[in-house]
Amino acid sequence: MKKLAMMAVLLVLSGCNLRVLDPKSQTASDQAFLIYLSFGIMMFVVLVVTVLFIGFTWKYRETEKNRYDTPKHEEGNRTLEIIWTVLPIILLIGLAIPTVMITYDVSDIGATSDETLHVNVTGEQFRWTFEYENGKQTHKNLVLPVDQEVVLHLTSNDVIHSFWVPKLGGKIDVLPGEENQMKITPNEEGTYQGKCAEYCGTLHTDMRFDTEVVDQEEFQQWLEE
Amino acid sequence: MQFYLFGDLIVLPTDVIAAWVSVIIGAPLVLYWFTKKRYWPVVWDFATSTNHRKIGMLYIIFALLFFFRAGIDALFIRMQLVTAENEFWVFQGDKYNEIFTTHGTMMIFFVAMPLLIGLMNVAVPLQIGANDLAFPFLNAIGFYLFLTGGMIFFAAFFFNAAPNAGWTAYAPLSTYEFTSGPNNNYYIFGLQVSGLGTIFAAINMIVTILRLRAPGLKLTRMPLFPWASLITSFLILVAFPVLAIALLLLQFDRFYGATFFIGEMGHPVYWQHLFWIFGHPEVYILALPAFGIFSDIISNFSRKNVFGYTSMVIALALIGLLGFMVWAHHMFTVGLGPFANTFFAITTMMIAVPTGIKVFNWLFTMRRGVIRLQTPMLFALGFIPTFVMGGVTGVMLASAAADMQYHDTYFVVAHFHYVIIGSTVLGAFAGLYYWYPKMTGKVLDDKLGKWHFWLFLIGFHLTFFPQHLAGLNGMPRRVYDYTWEDGVFVYNFISTIGAFLMGASMLFVLWNIYKTHRTKEENVGPDPWDGRTLEWSVPSPVPEHPFEKMPVIDRRDALWWAKQEGRSLPVADHPRASPIAVRTVQPLVLSAALTILSFGFIYGWVWMQILGGAASLGFFLLRAFNDERTEAYRKEEQDDE
Repeated sequence: MKKLAMMAVLLVLSGCNLRVLDPKSQTASDQAFLIYLSFGIMMFVVLVVTVLFIGFTWKYRETEKNRYDTPKHEEGNRTLEIIWTVLPIILLIGLAIPTVMITYDVSDIGATSDETLHVNVTGEQFRWTFEYENGKQTHKNLVLPVDQEVVLHLTSNDVIHSFWVPKLGGKIDVLPGEENQMKITPNEEGTYQGKCAEYCGTLHTDMRFDTEVVDQEEFQQWLEE
Repeated sequence: MQFYLFGDLIVLPTDVIAAWVSVIIGAPLVLYWFTKKRYWPVVWDFATSTNHRKIGMLYIIFALLFFFRAGIDALFIRMQLVTAENEFWVFQGDKYNEIFTTHGTMMIFFVAMPLLIGLMNVAVPLQIGANDLAFPFLNAIGFYLFLTGGMIFFAAFFFNAAPNAGWTAYAPLSTYEFTSGPNNNYYIFGLQVSGLGTIFAAINMIVTILRLRAPGLKLTRMPLFPWASLITSFLILVAFPVLAIALLLLQFDRFYGATFFIGEMGHPVYWQHLFWIFGHPEVYILALPAFGIFSDIISNFSRKNVFGYTSMVIALALIGLLGFMVWAHHMFTVGLGPFANTFFAITTMMIAVPTGIKVFNWLFTMRRGVIRLQTPMLFALGFIPTFVMGGVTGVMLASAAADMQYHDTYFVVAHFHYVIIGSTVLGAFAGLYYWYPKMTGKVLDDKLGKWHFWLFLIGFHLTFFPQHLAGLNGMPRRVYDYTWEDGVFVYNFISTIGAFLMGASMLFVLWNIYKTHRTKEENVGPDPWDGRTLEWSVPSPVPEHPFEKMPVIDRRDALWWAKQEGRSLPVADHPRASPIAVRTVQPLVLSAALTILSFGFIYGWVWMQILGGAASLGFFLLRAFNDERTEAYRKEEQDDE
């Protein structure tokens, strides 16, 4: 009971606008969909277990009446056991199929067109460097045009970092001596928090940046400044 | 604290000073108390014994000591995170990194593992009708290796050099180039030494369970805790050598400039593979024994046999097996590609099936039973919903694309605390209350036990439930600060309140133990819980060699059926040769040698490395030509003639 009450209070407090569940790109939307789907399936499981758990604990608790009873010996029950083996398998298949599809989707860099914007992202203790095709460099803010495909080329100068803008999509690790790529298409203007998500040393906490998604004109102007 | 003295900037680590001061004041008090109460003979008796009950108790005592230490670390973490833009004491930057590294490493390796191995030591031989573990001397060595490793790790803080690369010690951050101090050397040697002890404990457990069962106690008649211990021991046997190898490679990178995890030839991701090939089975090494404990307790306190025994055993084995095929789900963001990611996503989801089978079998064990709500059962009941909540977030995390959002956030922190505290810690507490009479002859106070349970459980959910939401709102793990705009203040604030409730609940454990032993009551009889398994047929506390007359087992829960039919268990005509107990200080000597060796390496003092190395090697040579059992065997042969 306590747990449920607390959950309700917290949900009200947070107003349901958790960053991960407030996607501003197709990638993040797909991931949010998976989160909702898996949450839904899993809540069904939790519900079944909770009902059985509360029911059995209440019904079969020790009372004055049954204190000296000896319950009947019971080896098991084939039918029941098959049900709770097969049912979870079906539920999991229901989750596995979209998982496979979306995992392939979000990892796919695919063919890029001339339109695609390429940005080199370099992580180092303890700052980010964003380098555009015309050589422009920034550290504190990553500026992206809205509705345009962006491919980030990520690498690290020292230890492992992880690039994460919750509203634009899941994170990707930034490794030394290796290039990881990530494709995103932001679909709404705004400023979104970005963070380093892989523990990277003393000031890991401070390795933050802002992602500013602006319209095309503004972006071109900014790029040429 | 920092100040200028004669123009020089002096920086004093006040936390380390506070630790030293408390030891300097506390240690003499403890020594005085031991002397006054004349406890030294007892201490010496335990320190030199090879008896499984005593070694089990030592494991548990030191695990609880480390539990309080790592728990205090957790409270420091929560104090620093209580509000946005906070500065609590010294715990920002490196100090914070040290404190979360210590908390994690200590809780896994020096709290959870020894608590379970301690309970196995106490209960497994008794549950299968063995007079001791198969190799009593090796058992003592195993314990001393754990203690030595734990103490080395524990000491790091006192020399202001606690490890600071996280409990996962990811390369290249953990290599010399980025963390050059002695800090992470403590990590390497603490784990290397204690890991060896864990391997010994596993070998001992396997041989004991396979060879020393009472006549008629087929594997298919064995209670589920020994079953879980057997499977866990096999997992240890496969997983821990991988950790040893990884640590050795890291040691070469750090000390001798090898480039396994860095540079042209090496790769930092190798470390992650090695670590998680060990690390994921480790999770099941922690969970399976707890499952075993809960199976026994739920059956006992429902006055019913375990529902679906065969599928319970198969599920244990399946979980163990699948545990080796899922390690890369810790690495979904590394960029292994969608094929590897989906493969590991699906194997991970498969683990939910045997786990689900176990949960439903527990529930149906309770059905139509008579459920006694005493403390051990309360912990088992608290475990079911808690663990299921952790399990379902586990399935959510298995969904690879979604995990790219959860990974390395507080969502993950919440998940693994739900599963590890939900299973291992609640299981260890349940086992502690359950087998306490077997260890000491006293039953812990039920009322205080219930206080402990409720405070701990409520505190636990308060602490970790909000962390799911903090994670979804973008809070990465291992950060010492957040801003007001991050919108995670409320979650963190509630978390901190919960953590202190959990801390308070632990005081009830201390009070309970004190209260139980203050009264000079008679020991309880052999069977305080109306038990079903063999350990309840021998006196409490259990004497050395309790099964002089071997019981003959003809079915599962043989003791229960004997009690039902009002008869005593039949015994075998011939006694069986038991493992031979010795009094020995040799493990203490080995412990000292390895401490010297380890500190030699940690600080790079070659003479000390040679001294400690020679002493350790000498010890092995000495043991190779020395067997204290010879005398006993000779005597036996003479008796036979």
